Amino acid sequence: MKRLACFFLIALSFAPAICAGADTAALFQEANTSYRTGDHAKAAELYESLTEQNPRVAVFYYDLANAYVRLGKLSHAILNYEKALRLDPRNADIRENLRYTRGLLEYRVEDNRNWYLKATEVVLKYATEREIYAVVLAVLFIFLTGGILYFFSGRGTFWNPWQQFVFVVLLLTAFVAFGKQVQSNMIRDAIVMQKECEARYGPSEHDQVAFKMGEGIKVFVMDRREDWSRVLLTNGESGWVKDSDIAEVKV
Amino acid sequence: MRKILLAAVILWGVFAPSLQAEEVRVSASVSKRSVQVGEEVRLSIRVTGQSMNLQAPRLAQLDGFETYYTGRASHISVVNGVTSANVEFSYTLIPQRAGRFTLSPVEVQAGQTTLRTEPLEIEVTGGQSQVPSTQAAPQRVATQPSRPAPVAQPADQNQTYAVSPGTDDNIFVQAWVDRKTLYQNEQMLLTYSLYTRYDTRYEGFEKEPETSGFWIEEFPMDRDVPRETVRMNGKRYVKADVKKLALFPTAPGNYTIQPGSLKVSIREEQQGSNAFDEFFSDSFFTGGAFFARRQNRLLSPPSIQLVVKPLPENGKPATFQGAVGSFRLSATLDRDKVKQNEPVTLKMVIEGEGNIETITRPKVPTLTGFKTYDGDTNSKLFQTENVIGGTKSFEVVFIPKEEGKSFIPPLEFSFFDPRQEKYVTLKTQNFPIQVEHSDQNFQMPQELAGNAIFQKQVKSEGKDIRYIDEKLPEVFPAHAVDLVYTTLLWGDLLVFVLLLVLWMKDRQDRLFSKDQALRRRKTARGTASVNMNKLKKLANSSNEEDTAVFFADLEKAMIQYIADKWNLSTYGVTRQDLAETLTTHFGADSELVKDVFALYRLCDEFRFGKGSIPQASKKIGLKIFQDTVNRIEKVRK
Repeated sequence: MKRLACFFLIALSFAPAICAGADTAALFQEANTSYRTGDHAKAAELYESLTEQNPRVAVFYYDLANAYVRLGKLSHAILNYEKALRLDPRNADIRENLRYTRGLLEYRVEDNRNWYLKATEVVLKYATEREIYAVVLAVLFIFLTGGILYFFSGRGTFWNPWQQFVFVVLLLTAFVAFGKQVQSNMIRDAIVMQKECEARYGPSEHDQVAFKMGEGIKVFVMDRREDWSRVLLTNGESGWVKDSDIAEVKV
Repeated sequence: MRKILLAAVILWGVFAPSLQAEEVRVSASVSKRSVQVGEEVRLSIRVTGQSMNLQAPRLAQLDGFETYYTGRASHISVVNGVTSANVEFSYTLIPQRAGRFTLSPVEVQAGQTTLRTEPLEIEVTGGQSQVPSTQAAPQRVATQPSRPAPVAQPADQNQTYAVSPGTDDNIFVQAWVDRKTLYQNEQMLLTYSLYTRYDTRYEGFEKEPETSGFWIEEFPMDRDVPRETVRMNGKRYVKADVKKLALFPTAPGNYTIQPGSLKVSIREEQQGSNAFDEFFSDSFFTGGAFFARRQNRLLSPPSIQLVVKPLPENGKPATFQGAVGSFRLSATLDRDKVKQNEPVTLKMVIEGEGNIETITRPKVPTLTGFKTYDGDTNSKLFQTENVIGGTKSFEVVFIPKEEGKSFIPPLEFSFFDPRQEKYVTLKTQNFPIQVEHSDQNFQMPQELAGNAIFQKQVKSEGKDIRYIDEKLPEVFPAHAVDLVYTTLLWGDLLVFVLLLVLWMKDRQDRLFSKDQALRRRKTARGTASVNMNKLKKLANSSNEEDTAVFFADLEKAMIQYIADKWNLSTYGVTRQDLAETLTTHFGADSELVKDVFALYRLCDEFRFGKGSIPQASKKIGLKIFQDTVNRIEKVRK
């Protein structure tokens, strides 16, 4: 019993303080009330402060994005929906609202990527990094436990068929985890925040304009030079934009 | 079966001699004495009182007649122990010209005896101007009981049938259709006709026809396949329609029907002119030639090309749902007075010829004052001659929601009539009903659950974002993944360290099991430490007995340590051995060697001295032991 209590204490120690904080709850209620009564500007302000205090809670980003939609700030809304989706990737409401908001944008970008890239993105976006890593660790735990059982039992061989199978599963999950790692940390996606943004052939104002795009468009940051970022679109176009014109989706 | 046959053979053996002994009579008769040119006359030659083992008599050339042998019939009867038998040979005569003719006597060979019939006279008058040509095939010569064929024979059959080179033209099969151009969903008849000059038994289909794209109904065939004699390419054949299929093409286009192949067996021995004799005896299709050796043949008719026309768009009614054929529509209402929320059933019956199974319920118009449900649907299929038809009934249940006078509007059923090549629309009558007030609430009839014809569709009225989430995430579920992740991370680390330790220990155990000296050397320090702890406890005791034990154990501990380090026997080792070993490794002047001997002296002092040993001596002894171990460990690990 003592051990169980100890376990729960450890468990609770991992939980962020937001849930227990009365201030957070009160602020959240106030933000909700503002949204309900139509004071979306105040609601957005309050949700914004909640996300700053608790950067790993999807609900706050989602509600903030909703408030921005009501205020007509579509780029901000999309940025926060994307952040919410990173934390809660299987939430149908977030996905639906993001899809809806994208439909309101002035610009639209065709997705000309290969089918396997699209499929990989969809699959990897179905789970958070932590969830995938937890699966890898669980498989690793099974693999290591199998090794310990072998030493304790003193029978058979360490590299038995079961261990081989678990090892293959471990490699597969590790491969998926690697993909997720690449997606989350190497492919940096960002949202265009300006009403109209010019992408140039080089990282300076002197370079020729390659294409124009509007707010809310999702881009992938490929390179950075001082105040400029080289971005890639899903239709294959790439160009340099000012850092101030885009905001990275980071939580 | 074998017993019955054996009994029959024995019986035949008993009666045969008596039959042969009887008088044999032969007679001839014609079905009519006066005929017109081209009209068939049946000539029968009857032999009585003789066994059936007779050859069919050959007719002499009859001037003015064309003659065909059409078979034999045998009959044996036993009445009050008296056996009688007769065999009748049949011929068909077709007069070619008018006049009076005398049929010369026909000779019948019965054993050694030759019998003759009486001459017969026939008067032929001029009538039919068209005399059937012997080359115009097929020509019906003699007909066994068979159904009339309401559909026209295929055009191909009026021509000479081409038999592929290298094939046996004495037996073949034709697959023919009653039309080669038809409308979608229109019925077409596919018939398989077997033509043979052998004693043949139909065994069934080896490969079924490929008729994808068609809805198929098979006509049931009689056990005794109807057959007839026809002439083709100047030869006489027995023809039997062995299979009939009604096909309904489901989509327009050009089709090729692969008719498959059917299996027959024929008697191997050549029968010559007796083939037809056997053929029309009890053997054909009935297994009469049971003991004969038979040979299987596969017959594959050539493929058939079809053109299926699409139904015309011009004049197609809105209520048309694909029915093709000729139909009638009737409808009845089970009552004309009902209470609110009580069901009233409209029954529609569609009857006629065509693709009845595929007919769907006529569309029911949207009725605002009623709840409408699908009731039972029944269909009954029948084959009339060569046409598929049937009845299909639909029930629609109406439940009036409001009181007052109302009516069930006419329901329309449309079909395409391929004969008239136009669409026909039929309507049910208008059924007025009187709905009386009722306080009874509506209850869905259990048997109609899920059969509602009209239900409002859920559809989106507008688009907007989904509402905010006003609930804070629960502590545990929200961070369960984090917790599991962290727990697994530490768990994995722990398990990994444990595994590493186990692996190292296992490796050490394996090494030690191979090298005992190494094991002793490596574990010497551990053993010395254990002994040291024991000695420390004894050193703290002032008891004289413990002091004695202390010095004895101290000496043993030192000996054991040095023996372990150099793999010497613990029990047999002497101080001299130890001295030599230590001197060899550290030199005679080594402090270490001196200390070890000092320790031995101290132990000897206690053992042999009479005075009491001060407490400090124990600590000195312990220190020497500890220092010795440390120094040796540094140089010999």
